[in-house]
Amino acid sequence: MREALLGWQFSGVYLVYAAIFWGYPFVWLLILAFSRWRFFGKPKPIGFDNFVRLFQDPIFWRIFWNTMNFMAYFIPMVVLGAFLFALALSKVKYFRTFFTLSFLVANVSSGVAYSILFSNLFSETGPVNSFLYKTFGVTIPWFSDPQLALLSIAIIVTWKFIGYYGLILFAGMQAIPKSLYEAAELDGASKWTQFWRITVPLVNPALTTVLVFAINLTFGIFTEPYMITGGGPMRRTLTFLLHIYTTAFQRMNPSYAATLAIVTGALSYGCVILVRKLVEREVHLT
Amino acid sequence: MRKFVWIGVLLALVTLVGAVTLTFWTAPNPNQEAFWKPLVEQWNKEHPDVQIEWKTIPAAGSSEEAILTAIAAGQAPDICTNIFSGFAAQLIEEDVLVPFDEEFGKDFWVLVGARQMESVIEGWAYKGHHYVIPIYANPMLMWWRKDVLQELGYDKPPRTYSEVYELAKKYAVPGEKYAMIVLKGRNWWDRWFDFITFYYAASGGKAYIDVEKGKAVFNNEYGKKVAEFIYTMFKNKWTAVDWGAEFALNNLRALGSLMGPWSINWAKENYPDVYNNLWLAPPLVPDDYPTNAPIKTFADTKGLVMFKSCKHKKEAFEFIKWVFSNPQNDVKWIEKTKMPPARADLGTNPLFAKFMEEDPYFAAYASQVGNAVPPALITTTIDVQEAMTTFLTEPLMYLKATPEEALSKAVKEINKLLW
Repeated sequence: MREALLGWQFSGVYLVYAAIFWGYPFVWLLILAFSRWRFFGKPKPIGFDNFVRLFQDPIFWRIFWNTMNFMAYFIPMVVLGAFLFALALSKVKYFRTFFTLSFLVANVSSGVAYSILFSNLFSETGPVNSFLYKTFGVTIPWFSDPQLALLSIAIIVTWKFIGYYGLILFAGMQAIPKSLYEAAELDGASKWTQFWRITVPLVNPALTTVLVFAINLTFGIFTEPYMITGGGPMRRTLTFLLHIYTTAFQRMNPSYAATLAIVTGALSYGCVILVRKLVEREVHLT
Repeated sequence: MRKFVWIGVLLALVTLVGAVTLTFWTAPNPNQEAFWKPLVEQWNKEHPDVQIEWKTIPAAGSSEEAILTAIAAGQAPDICTNIFSGFAAQLIEEDVLVPFDEEFGKDFWVLVGARQMESVIEGWAYKGHHYVIPIYANPMLMWWRKDVLQELGYDKPPRTYSEVYELAKKYAVPGEKYAMIVLKGRNWWDRWFDFITFYYAASGGKAYIDVEKGKAVFNNEYGKKVAEFIYTMFKNKWTAVDWGAEFALNNLRALGSLMGPWSINWAKENYPDVYNNLWLAPPLVPDDYPTNAPIKTFADTKGLVMFKSCKHKKEAFEFIKWVFSNPQNDVKWIEKTKMPPARADLGTNPLFAKFMEEDPYFAAYASQVGNAVPPALITTTIDVQEAMTTFLTEPLMYLKATPEEALSKAVKEINKLLW
């Protein structure tokens, strides 16, 4: 009895916190998604109308394909980059902390600040394009070509997360017992074989973590397109979060925005499940 | 002596308890703050029984967002400025605004008369009622770099599209410098300050949306000429897609741009070189536009509304009347903001004469208030102008569609939204 009371006292704080900051908004989100409400008065229940509208909304599908397209750029780039970073980090003997920190700086900088920096740097009249034009006579429409703009944003996000994801992979690599490599060495396995047969399979838990993070991140992109492209050109950098935000606060339609939020959440969860099914393996390091 | 102290304490108590408090929000803009602050202080001193709690619209992505969240949280102000037409239309449709003409009847019309707003207020009527008191009307004008144009041999700024093409051939070097800023950006409101302004100029102020029928009508000869102009400028690289952080008229990447009067003080403080070397001119027109006809332009106009949740409507209206029936306050408004008040007598009232003489830039804007046409009063402004961006200006700037294709596609998409 005393123990139960003590238990409740410990978990109570969390439960109250979760009820206020998680439970209440969640219930409100569900109510909104099934009603029509425009900030005034009481929500009017309308069943599944918002969902029916959503799947017929060409903007929704545009964003869906943008997100898929973004993942196709971002995930290979960031995973490859993070892997290289982790490998390099395990090779260096000195200044390891310095290198790690230098890469993590990107991760902790303000999204708004570096978005402004990048948009000025790569604007059509910015220093990069001025240089390119003077030297080669061409300019690259980083943020103004519909297809390239999405890639440019993927590159910026990759830049931001290489250090962080690389560190996760690095920790995964450090956990692999050295004896495995020594045994492989004795059996005459090349470095290449060691990497593919030992490092890659055994780093799987860390890799899965990175992939799950990267997918969640893709569905939550907001700052970069908001600050740099405003969702353009031709709606090619419009993201779910950006659309949810403008729908709620500019188009004055928070109930439709709630529907969008729920579908976005479900989609991102679905992608995570799928990736775990495809990639995750049981790994025993001992 | 003690008696007096007691009386004093009692009086203070009565005023504190009995005083009506009204919340009043204004635009988060330093110039406008400088206008409202002393005014509200003066009112509060003179009216201890009706206290105004003044603050600027809280920082958020936009004023609209801040106001909406405040309403949802039950924290709406009693009166609020900085309301644009489309937002007013949305708020009216949701039935949260007080119709001034219905609520205050004759008092409202007396105020309209006192501030010479009879003609100005017409563009703000919504379904026969008046929910908004316009505060200012900002016409859009072209800014040109006088010094550079003079060096190039000009004695007046370009007036027509062809004259800009000529200028571009003399000045533009792709990747380095361009003739002018044609499109202002990707935000939905930027369409007011480029396509819609050019359309009003080309068409002599014709509507781009038929509000009664709920149809977009700009794929006519005027729309074609404007689209053709935008396309030509981008095709020849006489204008750029983006301009970086510095004002392009300052680093001379561009010689001209459509600008509103709110930029006068901004340029004066940040870009004195630009400020001291300007020609102000009406928006560009097609080559066949009659030379003696007045050139219409777009009016960025914002107003003041009262929310139905206001518990002391009569007192709130007293305050509004106190501010706007005194022309001296409009004099102060001009001093602080350099934006033309929404009144018809700027050119005739001697009170404003000193500004018209002293400040040629202000005079240029104020003299165009009569030629400035407000935007279409529709509830879907944001979606309509977002569609205008996606299907009209972006295809033109990236040369993805011919002017005809872009126009008809944009009109088709906008009609879907209006229908």
